[in-house]
Amino acid sequence: MAAMRYAGLLCALAMCGCVGTESSSAKNSGGTLAISTGGDPDVLIPSLVQSVQAAQMTDMIYDRLADIGDSLNIVNDKGFVPRLADHWTWAADSLSITFHINPKAKWHDGFPVRSSDVRFTVASAKDSSLGSPVTPLITNIDSVSTPDSLTAVYWFHARSPQQFYDAVYQLSIMPEHVWQSIPPASWRASDAARNPIGSGQYRFLRWIPRAAVELVADTANYRGAPKLSRLVWSIAPDFQAAVTRFLTGETDFFEQLRLENLPEVAKHPELRTKQYHALQYSFVQFNLRDPAHHDRPHPLFSNRELRRALTMATDRATIVRSVFGALALPALGPTVRAYPTTDPNLTQIPFDLPRARQILDSLGWRVSTSDSVRRRNGRPLQFTLSVPSSSKVRVQTAVILQEQLRQAGVKMDVEQLDFPVIVEKDRKRTFDATIGQWNTQPSPGAVLGSWGIGGSRASSGNNHGSYENPVFDAYVDSALASFDPAKRKAYFTSAYETIIQDAPAIWLAEPSPTVGYHSRLQLATLRPDAWWIHIPEWWIPADKRIPRDNTPQSATPPPAQPAGQKTP
Amino acid sequence: MLRYLAQRLGQAAVIVAIVAAITFALIHLAPGDPFSDMMDNPNVNESVRQTLRAQYGFDRPLPEQFVRYVNSLAHGQLGWSISNQRPVLEVLGSALPNTLLLMGVALVGSFTLGILIALIQVARRGSIIDYTLSGISLFFFSMPDFWLAILTLLTFTYWLPVFPVGGAVDPVMHEYMGLGGRFIDRLWHLALPALTLMLLASAVVARYQRAALLDVLPADYIRTARLKGLTEREILRRHALRNALLPIISLVGLSFPALLTGAFFVEKIFAWPGMGLAVMSAIGTRDYPLVVGGVIIGSIMVTFGSLLSDLLYAWADPRLRSH
Amino acid sequence: MPGQIQDSAATRLARPRESPLALGVRRILRRPSSRVAFFVLGVIVLVGLLAPLVAPYNPSAQPDIVGLKDLPPSLAHPFGTDPYSRDVLSRVIYGARLSLMIGVLATIVSLTVGVAYGAISGYAGGFLDAVMMRVLDAFLSIPRLLLLIGVLVAWPNLSIGALVVFLGLTGWFGLSRIVRGQVLALKHAEFVTAAQALGASRRRILWRHLLPNLVSPIVVAATLGVAHVIVLEAGLSYLGIGVPKPLASWGNIIQDGADQVATLWWMSLFPGLFMVLTVMTLNVLGEALRDTYERR
Repeated sequence: MAAMRYAGLLCALAMCGCVGTESSSAKNSGGTLAISTGGDPDVLIPSLVQSVQAAQMTDMIYDRLADIGDSLNIVNDKGFVPRLADHWTWAADSLSITFHINPKAKWHDGFPVRSSDVRFTVASAKDSSLGSPVTPLITNIDSVSTPDSLTAVYWFHARSPQQFYDAVYQLSIMPEHVWQSIPPASWRASDAARNPIGSGQYRFLRWIPRAAVELVADTANYRGAPKLSRLVWSIAPDFQAAVTRFLTGETDFFEQLRLENLPEVAKHPELRTKQYHALQYSFVQFNLRDPAHHDRPHPLFSNRELRRALTMATDRATIVRSVFGALALPALGPTVRAYPTTDPNLTQIPFDLPRARQILDSLGWRVSTSDSVRRRNGRPLQFTLSVPSSSKVRVQTAVILQEQLRQAGVKMDVEQLDFPVIVEKDRKRTFDATIGQWNTQPSPGAVLGSWGIGGSRASSGNNHGSYENPVFDAYVDSALASFDPAKRKAYFTSAYETIIQDAPAIWLAEPSPTVGYHSRLQLATLRPDAWWIHIPEWWIPADKRIPRDNTPQSATPPPAQPAGQKTP
Repeated sequence: MLRYLAQRLGQAAVIVAIVAAITFALIHLAPGDPFSDMMDNPNVNESVRQTLRAQYGFDRPLPEQFVRYVNSLAHGQLGWSISNQRPVLEVLGSALPNTLLLMGVALVGSFTLGILIALIQVARRGSIIDYTLSGISLFFFSMPDFWLAILTLLTFTYWLPVFPVGGAVDPVMHEYMGLGGRFIDRLWHLALPALTLMLLASAVVARYQRAALLDVLPADYIRTARLKGLTEREILRRHALRNALLPIISLVGLSFPALLTGAFFVEKIFAWPGMGLAVMSAIGTRDYPLVVGGVIIGSIMVTFGSLLSDLLYAWADPRLRSH
Repeated sequence: MPGQIQDSAATRLARPRESPLALGVRRILRRPSSRVAFFVLGVIVLVGLLAPLVAPYNPSAQPDIVGLKDLPPSLAHPFGTDPYSRDVLSRVIYGARLSLMIGVLATIVSLTVGVAYGAISGYAGGFLDAVMMRVLDAFLSIPRLLLLIGVLVAWPNLSIGALVVFLGLTGWFGLSRIVRGQVLALKHAEFVTAAQALGASRRRILWRHLLPNLVSPIVVAATLGVAHVIVLEAGLSYLGIGVPKPLASWGNIIQDGADQVATLWWMSLFPGLFMVLTVMTLNVLGEALRDTYERR
């Protein structure tokens, strides 16, 4: 937009016709992207985000040292593109990587990005008092040293094929001068968390709870100004309202269209849909520990045979067809078919209701005559499944599951809570069972964070069910240490088959999400792990603008200044 | 009159104190002790936690806790809302004007519409119009608030896209509109929730006012007016209405709780950022301090609503004024 | 027999010849609107009582969650099916049963507490009466929905029985005032003094004469009370803190379809219509009863 004004001024002064390459590229700048979403972000600190909305916003506000390419090649560094680091070099023994920070990189408050910021980010993520789910994933990084203000050296404990990935993917760099004076345990509730300062192509403007989050283009960004000048997340009270806002044109984008929405979208000629392959899988997670006393095993779910029986009583294929239609496949395990290391023919626990009943009988859970709920020593076979009320898919799955398990004599109560409460329950491990969904990472090694011993022992780890099997961990570690693709696949197969037979969860679905968008938007590639990552490249042709694309430039406020900071 | 005011104020204060006792009981009888849960929550600032500990004194004996509780209430400390990361009073206080706006518009609208309907019904009593209007007002009177809200939202934002889909302002464009544009934006977002609430309330008003008018009409002074030769319409306007208005004033006070409840549902379904939406959201987040704060403020509103209407009544009724 | 009160003119005033309930019902049935309401309500109650016989399908059975889900109304499923292939008509019928049952039981709780509270307060008089009345005012100042939310958020995952009790415990306030008024009026009635002079105990007189006079306000309060509870329970179920899944109540069915109100309109329309119908009939009957008794 600024370029447009400048071109206009030039024309006026020079009194010449203004047709040139300058204006035509300026023509494609500007515009507003309004995204319909069903809830607030949980927190705008990259190392703490759990919700997908928050991940979208922090990926726009903050930068990584390097980003993974669209092909999701995680081995070594060939597939990566520079971000905050404009180039890097490996040490001869591969135990350290030297990153050179782009000298033009600046924080949104004007301070330059320095290597001390990188060191600070890594150190804070390794600090267990922060409570970050990333902590167990960066154990291979020993520390970061800063020989000068534009050079950061990562030191590793061991070589591995995804060393580089571990170093750059997990962490977006945060400004030391903003966060160093705040103890990590207080980050979440601090004022700085409500006014995030990053180095990304969009800067934070405002967050009105339950209403909107707005980001504006950082026109002086070191990577260049993004094409769209404004990003607004329109937060609707529920799924139906969010879809309706998209259908009526109040917003331009909706990321999780369901099967039943597709005919409605088809009725609107100005709206389009696009399906893409994501790295998602969902599951019913059992808590293997007692929710009230974490040192004790769960009275029901610590028993492997019981978990297997519950899995056998579930007709997973039908659930997936009912809830998703053709938009999802049954999940194979804690993995996705997109990984080259995933064998699509993994042995599953079959759907076998009579056998499930047999197993339950043999465990001592007998059907009582009164209400057909199985009992053992007077205790009913009963548990509570907690689901976020905002996720229609999970609520629906829960009700179907309730009926299927009832036929096996199991009483499952469904508890609906807001997403942040579910996140808390997960974190504190105070649930009986819950339906979880991971947007998993490009690296299959991420499975250790959610199902490995490290993720279970760490209080902030993502292994909320506390499943611990050293055999599983060993297979995955061996896989990650192999440089031979065939061996990697073999190890992963053994790992997956181990965990599938242990049944710490009932593996549900692998969805292929469908997004809906306004036809005037020109989208870039929707990367499987993060469809939003290329938003800075999205644009709107000048002849397709609508009123909300043309907001007055004067409305953009000056960059945020954290309290007490000197100007650079 | 002043003595009456003082008396009623005193009564109101006693009522609020008892409500405080009720909420105190609610807090302590609740299993899992949600208030003290906050003390260990890392999401809450340490300084905030310390303030709360001092205010509520959870390790003290119960009577002392109650005294501290009432004391903190009197100072406007209603607790800390975890889901909003702000004091409860701040959350509810900033949301309250939106609720008052909604309720105020609906109150004025519903009383106007209700009285109008009642007048029409009485003027044509026994006719088909009377019966039809009776049936319609009965229909709306019996309707659950949330159901009507769902239907109006569906009808006027989806089937006939006239109004915006919830919220108080357009999240994408509001900040960039001029003053006039912002006013219209707010009005447009207010229209549908206010209309819904108004429909629900006017049914109540219409029914009560019709009954009140029918009660008054056979009265002696009305008969005298008829003998004097006044037309039916003039009688209605000059005498009957004025005397039937007295019960209307007390109806304002009586309808407050129902109006507040209706506003809560309407706010939730239309995402109107008032106190109702805050409390309704607190259900899903199990933000107990916010819910309890809502109870206290809600009852204060109702108490003063009925106080106001009692005072208005006392001032308006000439029979009472004479002492 | 000594102490027994003979039929006298004074007592005849307090004790009508015919049961007030029968009298009231007979009178209101003269009106055509009441007759219609009675009939409609009767049908709904009957359908609810005979739900296992009337409902075409099992309300919680999910026969084919792929092929039979989300079907619009048809001959096989007059009210359509929900996202779990459950028949909505059957669920509405069972919903009638559950919602009416909750309404009636909760109202019984309300009536019991209300009568007891009002009677004690009126009979005791003095300071206790004043305190009890102030406490009553305090409860009356809290909107019922808010009070219920306050209770239900603290006690999540309640059983239906507990829900009924809490619903009942929040709805007795208005009635107790009326009862108290009756007790106070009776306390000072002339015939009581007269009868006391004749040797009867005060308590016994009040008891014998109180109850008949209470029938009318109780009947009216019961009818309107059931209507209130039905609406309230629907609202709570819609918010997710009322009747738990997978049980069918009218509010629950609407909540199941709340996410797709536009496409699954039959899930919001039919339970809502039935709810409005039931509440309308109860309101008509309750108000007719009230008019009849007041005009005595």
